[in-house]
Amino acid sequence: MVKGDNMLNNTLINKPDSKYDHMINNKIRKNTNKNKIKEGSLAFNIALYTLAGFFALIAIYPMYYVMIMSISKPMDVAARNVYLFPTGFVTSAYSFVLKDPILWSSFKNSVLYVILTTIIKLVLCVLAAYPLSMPRLAGRKYVVWFLLIPMYFSGGMIPSFLNITRLGLYNSIWAVVLPASVAIWHIILTRTYFTTSIPNTLREAAMIDGANHYKTLFNIYLPLAKPILAVIAIYTIVSVWNSWFSATIYLPDPKKHPLQMYLKKMLVDNTQFETYSSIEEAEQAIVNQMVKMQLQYAVIVITTVPILMVYPFLQKYFVKGIMIGSLKG
Amino acid sequence: MKKRKIGKEYIVENLELYSLLLPAMALIFLFDYLPLYGITIAFQDYSPAVPIFSSAAKWVGFKHFINFVNGPYFLRLLGNTLRLSVTQLVFGFGVPICLALVLNDLRARYFKKFVQTASYMPYFISSVVVSGMVLSFINADGVVTKLCNILGYSVKDISMAPEAFTAVYVITNIWKGFGFSSILYLSTLSSIDAEMYSAARIDGATRWQQMLHISLPSIKPVIAIQLILSIGGLLSSNSEMILLLYNSAVYKTADVFGTYVYRYGLLGGKYSFTTAVGLFSNIVNFILVLIANKISRRMLEFSLW
Repeated sequence: MVKGDNMLNNTLINKPDSKYDHMINNKIRKNTNKNKIKEGSLAFNIALYTLAGFFALIAIYPMYYVMIMSISKPMDVAARNVYLFPTGFVTSAYSFVLKDPILWSSFKNSVLYVILTTIIKLVLCVLAAYPLSMPRLAGRKYVVWFLLIPMYFSGGMIPSFLNITRLGLYNSIWAVVLPASVAIWHIILTRTYFTTSIPNTLREAAMIDGANHYKTLFNIYLPLAKPILAVIAIYTIVSVWNSWFSATIYLPDPKKHPLQMYLKKMLVDNTQFETYSSIEEAEQAIVNQMVKMQLQYAVIVITTVPILMVYPFLQKYFVKGIMIGSLKG
Repeated sequence: MKKRKIGKEYIVENLELYSLLLPAMALIFLFDYLPLYGITIAFQDYSPAVPIFSSAAKWVGFKHFINFVNGPYFLRLLGNTLRLSVTQLVFGFGVPICLALVLNDLRARYFKKFVQTASYMPYFISSVVVSGMVLSFINADGVVTKLCNILGYSVKDISMAPEAFTAVYVITNIWKGFGFSSILYLSTLSSIDAEMYSAARIDGATRWQQMLHISLPSIKPVIAIQLILSIGGLLSSNSEMILLLYNSAVYKTADVFGTYVYRYGLLGGKYSFTTAVGLFSNIVNFILVLIANKISRRMLEFSLW
């Protein structure tokens, strides 16, 4: 691990060396004579901007499509006649969806799970990372092994499920919260931050002044750890908010379902159609189906747009998180 | 005398430190180590009535592994897993690199910001919503199905067509991740010394040549690492996404180890057998990581550990 870290660090930070430079220049010189395209040529710029625009369009259009479908006239939605602009501004689907009490209860559950998981994870990270960054920790080697083994080997789906059941957590919200709160990876990130960004002398000075480790941690390390904790918190919030699988496995009780489970039932599971006993019922079902389609789009917009509105402001934290993560391999 | 005093301090200090470590270690033990021990049921005929540590457990050795490998589903699962992962790698690996190179060369600042923000966006949409969207596009009256029929690929319902699942899965995954994966490449690109580019310009290099001979070589190490990581993960397809996208009509091409374990283990209650299946795919995966790492160490003089 450690060796790889250093090498990656070097490759990312060091400038390419000069013999390399020379090689590049030679190659370029050879090419310039036959290649008449000049710096900033029109063709190159057009290609560049078209490609960039294409990438942006690909990323945005499906979401945009969902949005215009959710407010277009139901007839056009059913006929799939909406492509570029909404036909009309119909909000009936929204008012219908927003009246659903299950949407709100699952929304509340999701918020609860996000808050609990994030708080527990941050506390664990700070508490565990501090001793790991102390040079005088006895048996540090064994503690590090204890942390590393689960990163490479995991029990898998069934042993985890049986374990949760045996611990008596089946159908308890802690089955979703606690396993998500222990992220060894994040403990290690926090530890690396402690060892690289907080000078040892600061701790030594505090210790000389008579502070014990608890005081040093809470008065000196914790305030300085804010940047890394912000990154971890934001990643945790997004991943818990978007997670659905552990709830599928561990929470049979619909009252405890998070928002993603509500969405799954509405968007994914409805592909299996029920059987109808009479023609009227079937007709009713077709009408429902038409409405349902637009409801689906409205639900997607309601649950997704808030995140998409907030995330551009948090973008720098995600970029930072990726960089920190990559430096550790 | 003096030594003893230090010893006492040392013990007190470590008691403090370990009291801080305790909560995390306890939870790791509960939720990571106990399931690791639980793997033993792969070598037993597990029944929920018998407690896991008891001596009454029936040991059956490698019975479940042999049954699985000789069973009718083994080749199908292996084939599907490999096909989905390899297709994903072939078509998806270059996209973020391409995006990063394009973004790095964009001069218009606000347009660049816009493209960045737009392309990262799908990453923040949950898998459930993404699959919901995709399914609504590809079901019998979805817009993609309609387009396919116009373009000459006559199909009634893409979500029910086994031959289309690979494409659906790969495109969905690429769409969700390409922008976010480009961040790593882009930040490496932005750390390139600007003097390199100006030197090349003085020598008459076009921007295309600069991209090819400066930008691309500079991110080569990062590309190598990402490639190793994805080869190591060839056998761990995104089964959460598959669970959301597939249905019984496309099991033939969509079923992978993870989804099989989910259906037969969690829903079907064949705990021992599916634990063996999961363990098998984990071990093969681990071996793949080791091999990929070894190759890269030899060929690129770079390794993960």
